Amino acid sequence: MAASAVTTVRGWSGLLLGVRSVVLRLPGLTQVRWSRYGPEYQDPQIDKGYYRKPLAALTEEEKYERELRKTQVIKAAPATRTSSVFEDPVISKFTNMMMKGGNKILARSLMTQTLEAVKRKQFEKYHAASPEEQATIERNPYTIFHQALKNCEPVIGLVSILKGGHFYQVPVPLADRRRRFLAMKWMITECREKKHRRMLMPEKLSQELLEAFHNRGPVIKRKHDTHKMAEANRALAHYRWW
Amino acid sequence: IMLKGMTRLISSVHKLDPGRFLHIGTQAPQCLAAHLDNQVATESPRAISRTSENDPAKHGEQHEGQHYNISFQDLKTVFSHGLPPRFVMQVKTFNEACLMVRRPALELLHYLKNTNFAHPAVRYVFYGEKGTGKTLSLCHSIHFCAKQDWLILHIPDAHLWVKNCRDLLQSTYNKQRFDQPLEASTWLKNFKTANEHFLSQIKVQEKYVWNKRESTEKGSPLGEVVEQGIMRVRNATDAVGIVLKELKRQSSSGIFRLLVAVDGVNALWGRTTLKREDKSPIAPEELAFIYNLRKMVKNDWQGGAIVLTVSQTGSLFKPRKAYLPQELLGKEGFDALDPFIPILVSNYNPKEFESCIHYYLENNWLQHEKAHTEEGKKELLFLSNRNPGQLERLCAYL
Repeated sequence: MAASAVTTVRGWSGLLLGVRSVVLRLPGLTQVRWSRYGPEYQDPQIDKGYYRKPLAALTEEEKYERELRKTQVIKAAPATRTSSVFEDPVISKFTNMMMKGGNKILARSLMTQTLEAVKRKQFEKYHAASPEEQATIERNPYTIFHQALKNCEPVIGLVSILKGGHFYQVPVPLADRRRRFLAMKWMITECREKKHRRMLMPEKLSQELLEAFHNRGPVIKRKHDTHKMAEANRALAHYRWW
Repeated sequence: IMLKGMTRLISSVHKLDPGRFLHIGTQAPQCLAAHLDNQVATESPRAISRTSENDPAKHGEQHEGQHYNISFQDLKTVFSHGLPPRFVMQVKTFNEACLMVRRPALELLHYLKNTNFAHPAVRYVFYGEKGTGKTLSLCHSIHFCAKQDWLILHIPDAHLWVKNCRDLLQSTYNKQRFDQPLEASTWLKNFKTANEHFLSQIKVQEKYVWNKRESTEKGSPLGEVVEQGIMRVRNATDAVGIVLKELKRQSSSGIFRLLVAVDGVNALWGRTTLKREDKSPIAPEELAFIYNLRKMVKNDWQGGAIVLTVSQTGSLFKPRKAYLPQELLGKEGFDALDPFIPILVSNYNPKEFESCIHYYLENNWLQHEKAHTEEGKKELLFLSNRNPGQLERLCAYL
C-alpha cells in the first residue's frame, strides 16, 4: 500500500522526476536529515585516478561499472569537494563546524592559520631540542590534528532519557560519526569560550590541538569527565531500550 | 659527405647534436665546459637550490634561482628594519636567512657595480604585481651595498609614515609642517645600528640649535645629531631632516657612497589618511619627513644611487590591480621621478619555482605527504601561478 501511494504521488508530479516525496517512516523515529535526491541517484566520482586509468588497464568489472554509470543519474558534487591531492574530509568538516553565518572564507583562513601556527611551534621545539628528542617531535600539522581529535573522542556517551517525569543521564554506546562530531564540537566550544578576549582563534586552537595531541588539556579532561559520569550512572543503563 | 660523416662521428663521441657542433666551431671548448657543468648539476641535485657564494658582489647569471645565506650579523645591523614580516617569521622558523638570487636584482647589481660616481645619482624603480618579490630584491641590493661599505639610507615602508599616526606635532622648525616623533625616533635607532662606523666619521657642516639649552656645533660628528634625535623625541623629525641634508651635501665629496633605498615610494606623492584637529586632511608635503625625503629622492646630488620600489600593498586610495609606476605614482610623482630606470619584477620562472620548492623540501617545510609528489608540485604551481608570495602562503600550511 505504501509503495502504491508513493508511485501514485510520483505519477502526477511528473516534472519532478527523482525528487523524494513523503515517505512513510517507522513510528518513534523522526526523519531529521533528508536530501532531495531519490534513491536511484549515485554519488559523484571525484577521484582523478579513476578517470585517468587507460582503457587497456581496466578489468571486465570496471568496464561494466563505467558503462553502467553512463546510464545512471548522478548527484551534483558539492562545491567543497575538490579533486585536490591536499584535500582532507576531516579538515573540511572541522572548517564547516567553525564557520559562522556562512563565512567560509574566514573559517578556512582561520583553519590554515591554525595549521601554520602548529607547524611553526613544532619547528621551534624541534630546533631547540637535542638530537634524540628530535626524532620524537612530530612536525606534520595534519597528523597532529588527526591524532588530537582521535584522542578527544569519547568511548561512551550520555543521553537524556525521560522516565517517570524525570530526565536521567543514561550511558549509551556512540556511533563513530557521533564520536568524531563530539570531539570537534568540544574542541571548538572550548576554544571559543575559554580564551582571553584579545587572543585570536588560530593561536588558541593551535595550543589546544598540541595539548590534546599529548593527551592533556581541557578537552581531554572533558572527555574523561564524560567517561566518569557514564561510569557513575552505570545503574541506569537498563533505561536504554535500543 | 666526408665532413658530415666526421661531424656525426664527433658528435656521437661528444653526445652533442650535429647542428650545434657545426654552428659553434671555435667555441667548442667552452661548449664542452658548459656540458660538463650541466652534468655536474644533474649529478648533485643538492646544488640546485643553494649556493655557497654568500657575497652579493660575486653573484652572477650562473647563480640565478639559487638561495644564498645572509649571516646573522648582517641581519642585526643592516636588516634591523627592512625585511617583510613573513620573511622575518620564516627566518625565525628556519634559523637561517636565505634569499633567492633573481634576475631583476642581478640587473640592478650590474648597474650599481658600473655606476659613475661623478654623474648625478640614477634612480632605479622596482615595479611588479603583488607578491612578486620587489621588497626582497631591494634587500638584496642593500646587502650588496652594505658589503661594499656604502652608507645605507633605508626607509622600510614609506606608507607607514602617511597613515595611522597617533601623535602629530606641529613642527618646531616650520610652523606649516607636522612632525611624527615616534616613527622618526624608531627610524633613527635603526639607522644608527645600520651605519655605526659612518656616524663618527661624517662631520656636520653647520651649527644647529635645538632649543635654548642644547645645540650641535659645526664639525661635530653626525652621531651626535642622531643621539639628540633619539633622546629628545620632540626634535626627532628635525634630526632626521638634518641627517638627510648633511648626507646629501657631503656625498659628492667622495668620503662615502650613499644608497637611498625607499620601499613604497608612491606614498610620497599620494594622499594621506592623517587629519588635523579640525578634521581637514593633510597633504603629504605638509609632513616634514615626506618633504625632506622628496628632496633626497631628487637626482641633484652625486656619489651614490637611489633604489626605489612602488607597491600597492600599503598604498592609500589606489586600486588593487594597479602595479605600473605611472598608475601608482600619479602625475605629480611620475614627473618628480621622471628620468628613472624601471625594473620589472615578475613571477618565478619554472627553474626558480623548482628551486624554491626544493629549498622548502630541504628545510622540511612541506610536511604534507602529497606535497613531495609530482601531483602535489603541479597543484602548487597551479594554485600559486608561480607567484612567490602566494607560494609561500600556500606552503605555510601544507
